[in-house]
Amino acid sequence: MSATAPATAPRTHLRLSGWVGAATSTDHKRIGLNLGLCSLAFFLLGGVFALLMRSQIAQPNERFVSDNTYNQLFTMHGSTMIYLFVTPMAIALAIYLVPLQLGATGMAAPRLTLTGFWVWLSGGLIMECSWLTADGAGRAGWFSYTPLSNGTNTPGVGQDLWVMGVLLAAIGMWVMGACVVATIARRRAPGMSLLRMPVFTWTELASMLMVVGAFPALIVVMALLFIDRHGGHVFTGFNGTIDYQDLFWFFGHPVVYVMFFPYLGAAAETIAVCSHKRWFGYTAFVASIMLFAALSMSVWAHHMFVTGGVTNQYFAFTSTALIVPAGIEYFDAIATMVRGSLVLRASMLFAITFFIQFLIGGLTGVFVASPVLDYHVNNSYFVIAHFHYTLFAGSVFGFFAGVYHWFPKVTGALLRERLGKLQLAILIVGTNMTFFPMFFLGEDGMPRRISRYPTHPSWGTLNLVESVGAGIIALGVLTFLINVFVSLRRRVPGGPDPWLGHTLEWATPSPPPPLNFETPLPPIRSYAPLLDLRRREPEGSRS
Amino acid sequence: MRGGAIPLLAWATLLVILMAANWIWTGDSVQVGSFALAAGLVYALAAWLVAWDRQALKMGPPPPDDEPEAVSEASLAAVMVGLSIACIGFGLVWAGFLIYFGAGVLALALGRLVLELRAELAARDALKPNDAMQEPPR
Repeated sequence: MSATAPATAPRTHLRLSGWVGAATSTDHKRIGLNLGLCSLAFFLLGGVFALLMRSQIAQPNERFVSDNTYNQLFTMHGSTMIYLFVTPMAIALAIYLVPLQLGATGMAAPRLTLTGFWVWLSGGLIMECSWLTADGAGRAGWFSYTPLSNGTNTPGVGQDLWVMGVLLAAIGMWVMGACVVATIARRRAPGMSLLRMPVFTWTELASMLMVVGAFPALIVVMALLFIDRHGGHVFTGFNGTIDYQDLFWFFGHPVVYVMFFPYLGAAAETIAVCSHKRWFGYTAFVASIMLFAALSMSVWAHHMFVTGGVTNQYFAFTSTALIVPAGIEYFDAIATMVRGSLVLRASMLFAITFFIQFLIGGLTGVFVASPVLDYHVNNSYFVIAHFHYTLFAGSVFGFFAGVYHWFPKVTGALLRERLGKLQLAILIVGTNMTFFPMFFLGEDGMPRRISRYPTHPSWGTLNLVESVGAGIIALGVLTFLINVFVSLRRRVPGGPDPWLGHTLEWATPSPPPPLNFETPLPPIRSYAPLLDLRRREPEGSRS
Repeated sequence: MRGGAIPLLAWATLLVILMAANWIWTGDSVQVGSFALAAGLVYALAAWLVAWDRQALKMGPPPPDDEPEAVSEASLAAVMVGLSIACIGFGLVWAGFLIYFGAGVLALALGRLVLELRAELAARDALKPNDAMQEPPR
């Protein structure tokens, strides 16, 4: 069956141009771009916080910032990166790309998506506003455990603004996530059955289902914390503390996978396109990603092994079981490249690096899934190293793979390959210099969240290496910004399909027109309709 | 749209299985409650999709859809709703008057939203082909 492009639809009512038009546009591409650009701005801000932190702990007994300021810096660094960069960027990619990959003209609920964006952005700005208060910004960690974060131990408007900012950001992201799920459910083009959806769309569906299921726990816990801070006494005693952690981590662990799956999908699309092959084991991958998403909703209390308030065996079992779907994804990635015609573009190199570096984060995750080992490294730099290998060395590399892959689609211009490869080399050096020594520091007992440490054999040297590494990461990000600037200034047109892509977004001009597709869509007989078209394989050979 | 509710139902059922395992193994009411909330929300979303269109439960590729649709280019109401919610939240923390200001803006925004939706429906109705014209000659 040949799918046809959607009938031309009229536009109604309101026409605005310029900044106001961009801010009020219900075009999914504009909303996705706005969300992505705002997330990127927050990423740069979070990066500055990280550099300030690393300056403070570069050497023993440093006095670059006060203890209180350091507390604010690590709180706002974590909060900005998680609530305002990695998670919303994953949603931004979904909002921009999923309708294109499905052959749809737009989102299922564009107004609601736009409302979600503005609620999220307002939440982010309110959170960052807390820097302007007399008490300073939020300073109880990105998780704000009680009783540390209650009104007695962390008084002041700054922490209240942090709570309200997180609450609003979570509401905004929940709304946008639900809209993406509804889009996948309702807006697929004729012929696009569920098992013909691209790999990236499946990873986004798994992520957004987790957003729908897990983010309400964060909304509830932040609302309760707000009430608690204003005399409500919701989280009292040992049970109150454990209940807070249970509710928080019910969101807090799934969000790690919300911050991982879409970048895995981006890396997978890149590897398949740059290998000139279909993604290997598509059905197994789809099953594994859905199982992975469900399992990752049931592992949260491994963050609470040392509290004595949870059943460690259950959470150790589910956490270790995550190896199975993760293994399937790695197997698929390697098998896709085997016997492929590999083109080692910057995007492909970022994707391969994503899989290699994430492996370090994943394998150390197996260590900390064991309560015995977790007791040893809990609250140490080992944990910092583990999650930065998953979120920075993993997700951010997957993000850059996606950026180099889809930048020509979004802007119509190609990014400079040499600058991209230079950025990759700088980031690999910087990332491993920054985060790998943390394993040794953590194993040696250096606790996290300390603003100063005494002179200790090797701690000073390792911390200095890490701080230099953080500076190198900043240099890598600067290289990326220069690349974007140069590429947009002196444009090398990419055309509609510069990489011989597999999925429907490459069947439309770059950047895509308002209703996405100007010509009839190609027949959709698999998850790679453009590859089918090129190879002209016999009809019905796949489904 | 055809099949749209299936992955949601499948995934929510996986959550229910894990919830049952958690209940048996830990018996912790907060943990089971969190699971139930998550599974319930995904089931609710699936139920909404099925209520909208029974095809959401059927397997297979979506058929061609010739229904005209009205697409809005921009929505001031959606932005105003978002900002008014944020305004109320900010008012809860910092300045009480912002709660009332936000509530006022929210009321205006909802009014504006009704106008936008009515305009969209009118545009879609105008595009619908006349049934008499569509009847094949007998």
